[in-house]
Amino acid sequence: MSPVEPESDLTRKQRREAAREERKAIEEASAAQSAQRKRLIQLGAVAGVVVVIIAIILVATGSGGSKSAPKPSSPAAKTAATEVVSLLQGIPQSTITLGNPNAPVTLQYFGDLECPFCKQFTLSALPIIIKKYVRTGKVKIEYRSMQTATRERETFQTQQVAALAAGKQNLMWNYLELFYHEQGEEGSGYVTESYLQGLAAQVPGLNLSNWSAARSDPAYPNQVIADAQAANQNGFTGTPSFTIGKTGGGLQKLEVSGFTDAGQFETAIEKLLKG
Amino acid sequence: MSRRTVRIVMIVLAVIGLGIASYLTYVHYAGLKPACTAGESCTKVQTSVYSKLAGVPVALMGLIGYIAILASLLVRETETSRFATLVFTLAGFGFSAYLTYRELFSIHAVCEWCATSAGIMTILMVLSVWRFLRGDGSLDRPRIEAGEGARPAQVSVN
Repeated sequence: MSPVEPESDLTRKQRREAAREERKAIEEASAAQSAQRKRLIQLGAVAGVVVVIIAIILVATGSGGSKSAPKPSSPAAKTAATEVVSLLQGIPQSTITLGNPNAPVTLQYFGDLECPFCKQFTLSALPIIIKKYVRTGKVKIEYRSMQTATRERETFQTQQVAALAAGKQNLMWNYLELFYHEQGEEGSGYVTESYLQGLAAQVPGLNLSNWSAARSDPAYPNQVIADAQAANQNGFTGTPSFTIGKTGGGLQKLEVSGFTDAGQFETAIEKLLKG
Repeated sequence: MSRRTVRIVMIVLAVIGLGIASYLTYVHYAGLKPACTAGESCTKVQTSVYSKLAGVPVALMGLIGYIAILASLLVRETETSRFATLVFTLAGFGFSAYLTYRELFSIHAVCEWCATSAGIMTILMVLSVWRFLRGDGSLDRPRIEAGEGARPAQVSVN
């Protein structure tokens, strides 16, 4: 064998090895490229699906997914009307006040008729307070307004004046209790003229023509302004908010951590009744 | 940033997000006002019509989302686990974007808890996209069996 042959063999081997390495590198690069392409496709597909789902949600909730308030003739409205009547029947009312005018303790309730937290309070803790303290003549409750959940100032005033106008016939509490019981979804624009009139029609004993006439009384918008000023003076930032004190004396802010538990209200009332 | 660091950062973010979603779910069901420095903004958002989707509170959806993200980060890392994190974070980001849009243009109030969660979800999404595209199969290869290469030295018997 000539000395060239092994060298040529080695070179051939090396060449084969190099070619194999090159093929391997190309294959690996191609595999990496294809993996990357696969990942990009997957990313695009997931992003596309997410965009489609969000678009569907946007369209479906476009109108706020609103649930309108029950119609006055519906079973839900009739149940609410029965509950309100049984809660308030026999308790004296005078404009914004529920309860004995000479009750030793006064509780002020600042609310927005469209506020869901006010609804929670009105349907859970408030009936307990009414049954235990208002019905027994120990506490009187004054309802004051404060705009929070209602978006438009005009709507807020219209609905509040509708309630205040029922107060002219000493039935404001029936009106606002019904409002909270039948409250629609916030921001869904359910408070229309027919909704307000529908509520009025559910208040037993309310003279509808007198109520309609009272709604244009300029004293009521002024009352709404005065309520807003009172809320501001108390430094309230949300509803429901409360002040409490001995009747005829100064009222203090009542801070509560939850609205569904009457316990904190009872403690404050008991303290004032004993003091 | 190493892959390990990215994963740790993502786990920390997911835990914070989980904390926020848990708190918001709690206040929703307990009927409490969320603690908020921006006045009533959080309450306005939490009690709005958009706080529920098909009757399910969005806070609860967030809670489930963060649990899913965290779970996908805590399992052994593979191409599939990275893909799962990508799917969950992209869905979370999309949903957060939708909620932020509703806050700005429908409710006209921004809840700081929701904004923080949206920020966290955005970072998680960016990191998970980066992590997914970067791939790195090293961890996908079978691991060296425990004990291999660490055999006890043979004791020579004289």
